[in-house]
Amino acid sequence: MEERQIQVLIEQANVQRNLSNWRGAIDLLQRALSLDPDHAHAHATLALALLGARRLPGAGIEARMALHLDGNDSFCHYAAAHVMYAERKLDDAWAHCLVAIETDSHDADTHVLGAAIRDLRGEVTEARELLQTALELEPGNTAALTKLARMELAARNFEVAAGYAEQALRSSPSNTSAHVVAGLISLARGDHAGAEGHARFALGQDSTDHDAIHLWAAIKAHRSPLLGLWWRFHTFVSMRTEAGELGLLIGSFVVMEILTILAGHFDLDRIQTILEWGWLGFCAYTWFAPELFKRMLANDLGTVALDPDF
Amino acid sequence: MSYTIADEPHETSLGAYVVSPSAPLLASMMCGAWMAWPWFAFNAIAMGSPTKKKELILCGVALAGSALLGAIVLAFVDAGWIPLGTPFKFAMLAISTWKLAFAYYISTVQARTFHVYEYYGGSVRNAGGIIGTGFWLKGIVFALSDDPLWIIIVSGGL
Repeated sequence: MEERQIQVLIEQANVQRNLSNWRGAIDLLQRALSLDPDHAHAHATLALALLGARRLPGAGIEARMALHLDGNDSFCHYAAAHVMYAERKLDDAWAHCLVAIETDSHDADTHVLGAAIRDLRGEVTEARELLQTALELEPGNTAALTKLARMELAARNFEVAAGYAEQALRSSPSNTSAHVVAGLISLARGDHAGAEGHARFALGQDSTDHDAIHLWAAIKAHRSPLLGLWWRFHTFVSMRTEAGELGLLIGSFVVMEILTILAGHFDLDRIQTILEWGWLGFCAYTWFAPELFKRMLANDLGTVALDPDF
Repeated sequence: MSYTIADEPHETSLGAYVVSPSAPLLASMMCGAWMAWPWFAFNAIAMGSPTKKKELILCGVALAGSALLGAIVLAFVDAGWIPLGTPFKFAMLAISTWKLAFAYYISTVQARTFHVYEYYGGSVRNAGGIIGTGFWLKGIVFALSDDPLWIIIVSGGL
């Protein structure tokens, strides 16, 4: 009876996850785990819901708990791979993904996840092979087509990328990820209006979708050179792990300070003044730009509506 | 009883005094370490952070480390191994880097809990007035002792 109740709660949580209602999914899974705190599947599903809510530390704990409780379950390995991919622990993520693929070789989504991991490891050919396998298992798999479009976009093959994005949109016309990638391709081709149309549609589907908000922010950044500069800097910094980000910021500070001290040592007063003021300006800009950017974005997102002609 | 996720903050009676972790980080630059480390520690406690112990230890290490580094630098200056001027400035840069790195790292650790705290609708106080007061008090705190080690310990990362 209790197992049946837990299964129902997990199913309901999956429905909420598909609707991107992470909070709803988390609440349901907490209820399931109150009934049985050792339910591996509930822990794994909770890990994925927490990941959706961008609660990475909690997701990591839940995914590891699920693996500890049932190390043979393919879904637990899939969830662990997902979380470790987000943690940028790519070798561990691939090891778990491989176990999940070997245990359940007919699941297209696991192949897509594997492709994402291998792509980030720089193994583009292997990533493409995994995506082709996913498409053989499930022709028209939107996640696989979207990922292929993103990879082609990264390689600046805009025509091929657009072809995959079109296929993804044909396969699933209201899919948020497909619209986001189509928007990114339009933006890369300089078609701001097209990109905005896709962003509006994606945000209309799910106003909390991180990628859709990212696309909207990128469009705004293209239109405002001053804030766009910060957006590019932010994207460049946030591509790194936390340790890498910290190293980059502290490293920049140390280099600038060393240059300032050396300029003073060699009596290059003018250069020293320029460096000091430049650094102060950079600090002030990187402090206030995100606030201005967030406010601009919040105002926009409050009024975003789909163009009737889209 | 509901299942508790490990990253969830606990409710505390000090919830009304929680600030964004970027506030103590800014205080470390604008006001000094005398304000930043205690503020980071207080914020961890007020937020009911599950990583409170780690954050408190980090604050302690940051403080003890700057005191130790300061003492070493001053001992080297007294012994004549570090002449005043450019070499001394480089030695002080090492201490500033130490403080800044810890302030950034503690702020990053605290931001993870802060994100969950906000997610559950926790109240957040505007820290502008506190930083302004700290900036004004900075001179008074620095003047409490004329020992150079005191200045090194309480001064900021920048």
